[in-house]
Amino acid sequence: MEQQPRLIEDHIRKNKRDTVVICMFMVILLFSVIFMVGLILGAPPILTMMIGLPIALFYIFITYSFSVQSVISAAGARPANPQNREEKLLIYKVEEMALAAGLPTPKVYVQESRDINAFATGHNPGDSIICATTGTLQQLNTAELEGVIGHEMSHIRNRDILVMTVTVGVVGAIALLAEIALRMLFWGGAGRGGGKKGEGNIIIIVIAIIFIILAPIFSRLTYLAISRKREYLADADGAYLTRNPEGLAKALEKIKADFPDDPKGSKTVAPLYIANPFKRALRDSIWSTHPPLDERIRRLRSM
Amino acid sequence: MDLTLIIGLIVLLIVVVVLLWFFSYYNRVIRYENRIDNAWAQIDVQLKRRADLIPNLMETVKGYMNHERQTLEAVTKARSAVMTAKSPQESINADNMLTGALKTLFAVSESYPDLKANQNFLQLQDELTHTEEKIAYSRQHFNDSVLQFNNTIETFPGNIFANMMRKKTREMLQIPEASREVPKVSF
Repeated sequence: MEQQPRLIEDHIRKNKRDTVVICMFMVILLFSVIFMVGLILGAPPILTMMIGLPIALFYIFITYSFSVQSVISAAGARPANPQNREEKLLIYKVEEMALAAGLPTPKVYVQESRDINAFATGHNPGDSIICATTGTLQQLNTAELEGVIGHEMSHIRNRDILVMTVTVGVVGAIALLAEIALRMLFWGGAGRGGGKKGEGNIIIIVIAIIFIILAPIFSRLTYLAISRKREYLADADGAYLTRNPEGLAKALEKIKADFPDDPKGSKTVAPLYIANPFKRALRDSIWSTHPPLDERIRRLRSM
Repeated sequence: MDLTLIIGLIVLLIVVVVLLWFFSYYNRVIRYENRIDNAWAQIDVQLKRRADLIPNLMETVKGYMNHERQTLEAVTKARSAVMTAKSPQESINADNMLTGALKTLFAVSESYPDLKANQNFLQLQDELTHTEEKIAYSRQHFNDSVLQFNNTIETFPGNIFANMMRKKTREMLQIPEASREVPKVSF
């Protein structure tokens, strides 16, 4: 990253602030979608919000509460076994990186897969999980593994897990709401609220419909942009922890060379991994969850 | 409107802002200071842990490496230096001695195939390397914390308050030159 985390603490505080801003932004976005849906359906906006907002917030809360369990089971991960030397060395690396970050040691999980990949999840740094695939343990050397774990540790420290779960929850809710609203509109359910009240209302309704159509796309793009930015940040912070950007750069090179083979888990989990297990983004695209590997490697090497 | 009232309100506002800033600054300084102490405690735990592993290691290698008296003695000597160190810097220096001695021991062990096949030895080697890494990383975290603390109390305008709080800058842990030296192995 261009801006070196020269004062790591300031940097983390900024991340925390960003986290709050993003979460608030997402809730406001959801809020306005609910408002617009109410407008189209002809229900009093206040009423829509009084019903809609608690439901939406509850939905996000539920997603958040169950996120860790669902991620672990989607990935088919199991706790690391200290009797196995490879897995013991993984546990050791996680402990070391936790010390470097000044965080409590996360639980260590292993996912059976030939691919090189890893992810972090959890609700807060005190209760988090780092999971690596068996392929990672077999194919990466100590410095590379350290780079990967440093990256995941930074996700935990930057509260990226919180940001990502909230964002995914809101994106899902908005998509669902837009779908419902548009369907009801086609069935003519909204007719009674609109046409009868005169010209001015029609314009508002049209604006609301456009908004409803655009909101899912917009929220998804926002989410992807946040996801990519957080990846760069985790790369930079991870390199700061290990004091060795080359380790992570080498690991990413290996990931690039190693094509995904029968990826496990769901697409919802994909953004959590160190590299998207479903596709290797080689070009910069507003539709990808991760920045292209080449660019990440380049930035690591220029630190 | 009354001019004095406005001026009074502005002054009040400034006082409130400065007070709020001071509270948050005060808490931050205390938090950073505690983190340094905690970081040191972490290093200390790891140093002790490593020193505790040494007798086990000695017990394991005894039967195999009787001819390497010098190497073994260096490890034992470094260990006791760690145990008796008084100041943080002293502990770190002693620990670096231990790191060097262990490096030599593990290098020498390469020429003892029986020892290298010993599960117990392998496990101890893993664990000692791990503890060494942990020490290095907690030391790094300690220095990060010290840098953060020093920056906070030395930069303007915080330094005014830091002076009032009688906070002094802390020392970072120096990594002695010896640790960067490649250990000499004599067969």
